[in-house]
Parts: sequence; C-alpha cells; structure tokens
Amino acid sequence: MEAIARVVQNNGAFRAICRPLAGTWVKLSGYRRLGLRYDDLLREETPIIQEAIGRLSRQETDLRVYRQKCAFQLSLSHQELPRDQWTKAEDDYKYLQPLVDEVAAEHAERDAFNSMAAVRK
Amino acid sequence: MLQSKVAARVVGPLATRGYASVASSAPVVSTANGIKIAAVDGAPDSPLASISLVIKAGSRFETAETAGAAHYLKAFGFRNTQDRTSFRTIREAELNGATLTAEATRENITYRVQCFKEAVPYFVQVLAEVATATKFAEHEFRDVAKVVALESLSARSDPATLALGGVHQAAFRSGLGNSLYAPAASPVATGDAVRQYAQGALTGGRVAVVATGVDADTLAKLVGESGLAELPGAAAAETAGMAAAFTGGAQQVYESASPVAHYALAFGCEPRSAHALGSLLGTQRRLKWSGGVSALSRLAAAEGFRTEAFSFAYSDAGLVGVLVSAPSAQIKGAVEKVAATIQKDVAGAAPDAIQRAAAATAVDVADVLATQKGQLRALGAIALGQSAAALEAVDAAALASAAKTVFKSKPVAAAVGLSQTTAYVDTLGF
Repeated sequence: MEAIARVVQNNGAFRAICRPLAGTWVKLSGYRRLGLRYDDLLREETPIIQEAIGRLSRQETDLRVYRQKCAFQLSLSHQELPRDQWTKAEDDYKYLQPLVDEVAAEHAERDAFNSMAAVRK
Repeated sequence: MLQSKVAARVVGPLATRGYASVASSAPVVSTANGIKIAAVDGAPDSPLASISLVIKAGSRFETAETAGAAHYLKAFGFRNTQDRTSFRTIREAELNGATLTAEATRENITYRVQCFKEAVPYFVQVLAEVATATKFAEHEFRDVAKVVALESLSARSDPATLALGGVHQAAFRSGLGNSLYAPAASPVATGDAVRQYAQGALTGGRVAVVATGVDADTLAKLVGESGLAELPGAAAAETAGMAAAFTGGAQQVYESASPVAHYALAFGCEPRSAHALGSLLGTQRRLKWSGGVSALSRLAAAEGFRTEAFSFAYSDAGLVGVLVSAPSAQIKGAVEKVAATIQKDVAGAAPDAIQRAAAATAVDVADVLATQKGQLRALGAIALGQSAAALEAVDAAALASAAKTVFKSKPVAAAVGLSQTTAYVDTLGF
C-alpha cells in the first residue's frame, strides 16, 4: 500500500493534475474557517498520537487547545469565524506530523527488537 | 610444580604492571583536530575491551548561568542521537553484552563502555554519536530532569557527600568549588541550555578517547572515521580565571538536627601528594579486627567516634583531610581532639608512620590499576594532562616534608549538624 502511495506521490503527471485540486479540496473541507490547522484533525485516541502530543512544546500545546476550544464553540453555535480570522495557508503547517512520524518510527523499532530472532553464527 | 608455573605466568604480568608502566607504555597520540588518544593492550588473553570518551566539561567549568549543566550533561549520556534512539543504543549494548556508564567528576564528563574486543568499532561509533549528535530534545529533558533531581536530592540528604561538597566550596569558592549536583533551582531549564554547554566544551583539545584492550593505532583510526573527526580543533581555551586557588579559613555549616553530626576538615596540598597524605592520616581499615595503629584511628577508637580520611587530586590543586562523625553533643570535642592530633602526631609523623603511608599508597595505586576502570581513569587523566604527576611513586622524605607544611597550614571545614554544637575552624588552633 505504501509503495503504491509513494509511486503516486512521485508521479509528475499525477501531481500536475492534483496540485490545483488540492487547494480547492482544503477550502471545501472547511476546517480553516473554524481557525483549525490540518494537524488538529488527526485522530487523537491512539498511543502514538498521545505520545506525540505529549512531546509538543508548551506553547504549541496551549495554542492547540485554544484552537480546539474556539472551533468547538463555533461548531456548537453554527457559526464561522469572520473571513480575516480564517487559518491562513502559511499558518497551516504540519506542527504535529513530524513528531507522530518520530514516535511511530520508535514504536516500529521497538516491535522489531521485541520480535527479533536469534541467529546462531 | 606445574601449578606454581601456571601461577607465575598468570601473576607475572599483573604483578609488574604499575601506575608508571601504564603511563609509559601508553604514548598519547593527537588527531588532526587535537583529540587525545591513548590505549593499553592490557591482558592479551582477555576478550574484553573498554573505551572511555572523556570531555573536560565537569562542574568546575560551570558559570553562574550554567550551574548544574554538567550534571544534566552526564544524565544525557546515551540518550537519543540523530542516528540512533536511546532504546536502540541500549538494546544493542545488551545484545553485545556491553556495559554503558556515564560519570561526572569536577573536571570531566566520562562516557564509558565495557565490551568484547570485536565490538570496539561499533562502540567507538556510539560514543562519537553521544558526544557530537545527541538531540537534547525537550521531552527527554523532562525525563532527565527527574533523574537529576533525584540524584541531587539524595546527595543533599547524605551528610558525607554534603560535607565533602562543602569543603570544596569553602576551599575553592567557584570553579572546583561548584557542586557536582545540579542545584534545586538550576538556571539550566531546557535541553537547549544543556546543548549549548556541551557544544562550548566540545573542541578537540578538551576531548580524549582512551581504551584498554585495544591497539592505540586502531583506536586512532576508528576515531578518525567517526563523527569526532569533525569537531572544531581549537586549542584547549579554558575560561580565564579558572585556575584553582585554595583559600584557608572558611567554613560551611549545613543545619541538620540529626543525632549524628559530621565535620569535614580539609587542607590544601599538591595534587601529586594528596593520596599519600590521605594515607598518612591513616584511617583506612586494612586488617579485619583492628582499626589500625595510626594516631587518628587510635584516638577515634578510644573516644568512640569515627574518622575517615579523604583526598582529592585535580589538575592544579589537591585537597586532603578527614571526615569526623560523632554524636551531635560531642562533635565539638571530637573535632578539637582530631585537630590537635593532626598538628602534633600527623604533621610530625614518625618515620615508620611515613613508611606505612608510602606502602599503603603504593598498594592502593596498584589496586586501582589492576582494574579496567582504574586504568581508563589513569589514561584519561594522562591524556588530558590532568594528574600525570600524581602517578609517580611516593618518596618518603618528600612525604614527610609535605606533611609538615600541609598539616600546619590553615584548613577549611564543612559541618553538617547544629550551628550551636558544632566546631568552628578558626578556633581549632591552626
């Protein structure tokens, strides 16, 4: 599955088709209208993401909680932020994904060591 | 007959190996960027090797802004690096049957590995990564800080450690007087602060790689291939004003309501004679049912308190003295008697006492050097030019004259007990 994803990602023609659609897709999905970032939408209830969230700096954690509270309140009252307060494209960077990748790699490494087979030389 | 021949073959090389022979048989090589490398082959039959990476970054190099950084740096040993997670380092060490140790002294931070000879190239790589590529991540700092806080707390609650730290502080103030343990409110509060302290210390001239059971040329080649080769090769620029100066007459008092009080009395001396002078104080128990015949141990046995001699040798200063422990109400009298005995019987020690001290020192030194750990310590000190002088044999005449001057000089002291009942150094008659 990952191999297919990599081929698709590295395929120039495919990228050329998808690039223009990506912006529209993000716009339509609407999370930026609530002031969220894409990484706020990652499913929290896994050990890996819990650990990654624990590794965020204090400031990032505070901002994340603030964004989620705002979005929750807006969602409850069926409102959107005024247009000038929507998340800007340059603010929508991946602040959590690198940590998630790091923790996932550590878990994979741990599993690999724990299921290691001894080979007699 | 056969047995004795075998015994001679085994014991022979061990018996002839001494401090001086370790020093002379291990020429110190410098790499292009100034890293010092020294190695002894050790016992050729042994499959074991050990490697130490020594960085001159101990607590004496801390400033007001970095107080406690050396302790944190030690605790960051073998944590996540750019190339290897800490989990992997530890699991691979376990698979290799190796032991990893991090150690902090007032002068050096040492990362040590004991492993099989085949695994040496791998562990030189690991040590180089620890020194040059540790991540010092924030989430790790939170874990490390817990370990550091526990070590500091247990050091503060151990009266002997407290008293010995106190005499350093009284004697040297800053520099060598800095605590080995991070203070409770250390200004070092982020992983970045530890990284900056480490990078400040990581120049070629302040790093040594020493090993036993490895050929020096092989070791130099391995270090040249590792990340250590890219360290800046600046000269060993030590911060100005770092030279240690002993100031006598000061005393630290740590309030403690414990029923047992402790009092450390310490004299400044040459680093080369520190250990021998410690033996001359002669409180170490060498026979099972006897406290010894030295003046201090006889006094302690008769009066019912405890004395324990200590000595510290640093690159440019030495400290020798005695730690007295007695019931809180009797500590003052005990210390006064110990001080009088030192002035009378130790400063003017009889030739046989001097002879005993010289013999005891020779045994202690040989004993330390019979272990890989002791050899590594000695090699590290030689490579960084720290205490090569201390490795020479003790001369009885020199020891007698050193005792006369050192034990009549003005000492420093640290008391752990009640300020009302403890002794004060300026009233002890030195």
